[in-house]
Amino acid sequence: MMRFTRFLKVEVEVVVGRHVLAENDAIVFVHPNIAKIAGIKDGDVVELERNGRVVKLKAKISENAPEKGCLIPNGLFASYLADLNEFKRFKANIEVSEGEVTKIEDILKELSKT
Amino acid sequence: MICPGCSCLCDDIEIMNGVVRNACRRGAEIFLKYKENRSKPIVNGKEVDVDKAIDKAVEILKSSKNPVVYGFDTTPVEVQKLAIDLAEKLNAYIDDTSSFCLGDLVELVLKKEVPTTTLDDVRNYAYVIVYWGANPYHSLSRHMSKYTYYPRGEKRQKGYEEDRFLVVVDVRKSETAMLAKTNARYIVVDNDLELIDSFFKVMEGKAAKYANEVSAVIRELRKSDFNVIFGGLGLKYGLRDLKPFVELVKKLNEISPTYFIPAGFHANMRGFNETLFEKTGFVNKYSFRDNTSKDSYAFVELLKNDTIDSALIVGTDPVKSLPFEIVSKLKKIKTIVVDPRNSLTAKIADVVIPSAISGIEQSGTMVRSDGVRVKLDVIEERDVNDYYVMKRILEGL
Repeated sequence: MMRFTRFLKVEVEVVVGRHVLAENDAIVFVHPNIAKIAGIKDGDVVELERNGRVVKLKAKISENAPEKGCLIPNGLFASYLADLNEFKRFKANIEVSEGEVTKIEDILKELSKT
Repeated sequence: MICPGCSCLCDDIEIMNGVVRNACRRGAEIFLKYKENRSKPIVNGKEVDVDKAIDKAVEILKSSKNPVVYGFDTTPVEVQKLAIDLAEKLNAYIDDTSSFCLGDLVELVLKKEVPTTTLDDVRNYAYVIVYWGANPYHSLSRHMSKYTYYPRGEKRQKGYEEDRFLVVVDVRKSETAMLAKTNARYIVVDNDLELIDSFFKVMEGKAAKYANEVSAVIRELRKSDFNVIFGGLGLKYGLRDLKPFVELVKKLNEISPTYFIPAGFHANMRGFNETLFEKTGFVNKYSFRDNTSKDSYAFVELLKNDTIDSALIVGTDPVKSLPFEIVSKLKKIKTIVVDPRNSLTAKIADVVIPSAISGIEQSGTMVRSDGVRVKLDVIEERDVNDYYVMKRILEGL
């Protein structure tokens, strides 16, 4: 079912941090403030976009995320969005999405094409 | 047993009948799952025997004009020494993850720009304990329970509610920040430099953005003769230039003895920094051709600027940890991976050489985040380990 929030893209602050159990998981921890603004519910698949690169991750609502954004565990999904100048903290656009989360193999496939 | 999971190198791990005692979640997983996701010897996508993979690695390095030797933060000091010998023999660049992790903070300590101490002394004596840009809950799960905040120490007998003062500086309310309740302060920052500026202003009796928080911390510092700051990636990336931080630590020491320890990293990152420092006077991003260290010799810069034509990557996974735009350059050069696990980098490498997991299948020495040297135990020693592979490559050259 299509939701109004499907079209609401919000610019957020993304912090990359260690997460002992989720470093290989396609997961993003979203602060409740941002979740409210962007209409994100716990368990939603969300799209994070930065400089033309997009990953789809499963949202988990968490007070541990920065108030103006979200936290992505250190790992391939964070590295896919980051660049050298803004390695551990950057801005990205977030919106509710549909379908499956991005797989590690999808990014490796893209890497092989370069 | 010693846990090789992070730079805490916890020395009280017990394994009996398949049960791992005392380890954190990361540590337990290493001991319980060390047989999973193992790498196989591969050359150009085809499985070969280990000797052929090593021969191919030698062939690539021999014909390379600009090689880099990279990684080694999960391997023992004995292997790191061989890596440095190998880089010297090749006239190569050598670097490890510390060039984008906490190498700058270790360098401050090794060059004695800030006073430092050991985790054992922190447990026994520290009152104010600052975690700046670090979240040990996830990165060093037993740091607070084994060494810093929670344990009772020789001069800290009353427990953390009375005998410790916790300060957490972060851009977000991390799990560690949530622990800052009684006898504690959580300082949420947008800009770390503003917090440092606030410390200086408050000490000069001027108004400042973080005046309330800083005044409370200074008041507590005055109560003790032993305080410590643990700096993490948030501190490094929040400041970039560490000079203001060094000045702050000096200034705080005019109030009360305040030590600094890098918060933590891969199990033996400090070992690499110390080993290279002893040999060259630099902790990372070094060129044996130019006999110096430069930012442009960091692994990420070498890739970004197309400076290298081959890379020997040992015990680290740059595809997982470095920006996509940087690691995509790995496809343009010859890549040799030595790793016990089938890492993401191993999946795209030209040559893969399997090795052994340090502290489980490979013995040796590692250096804890505070500089204390620790001897690793093994469950089952493997003949083909990092030491064997590096020695064979070195002989082949």
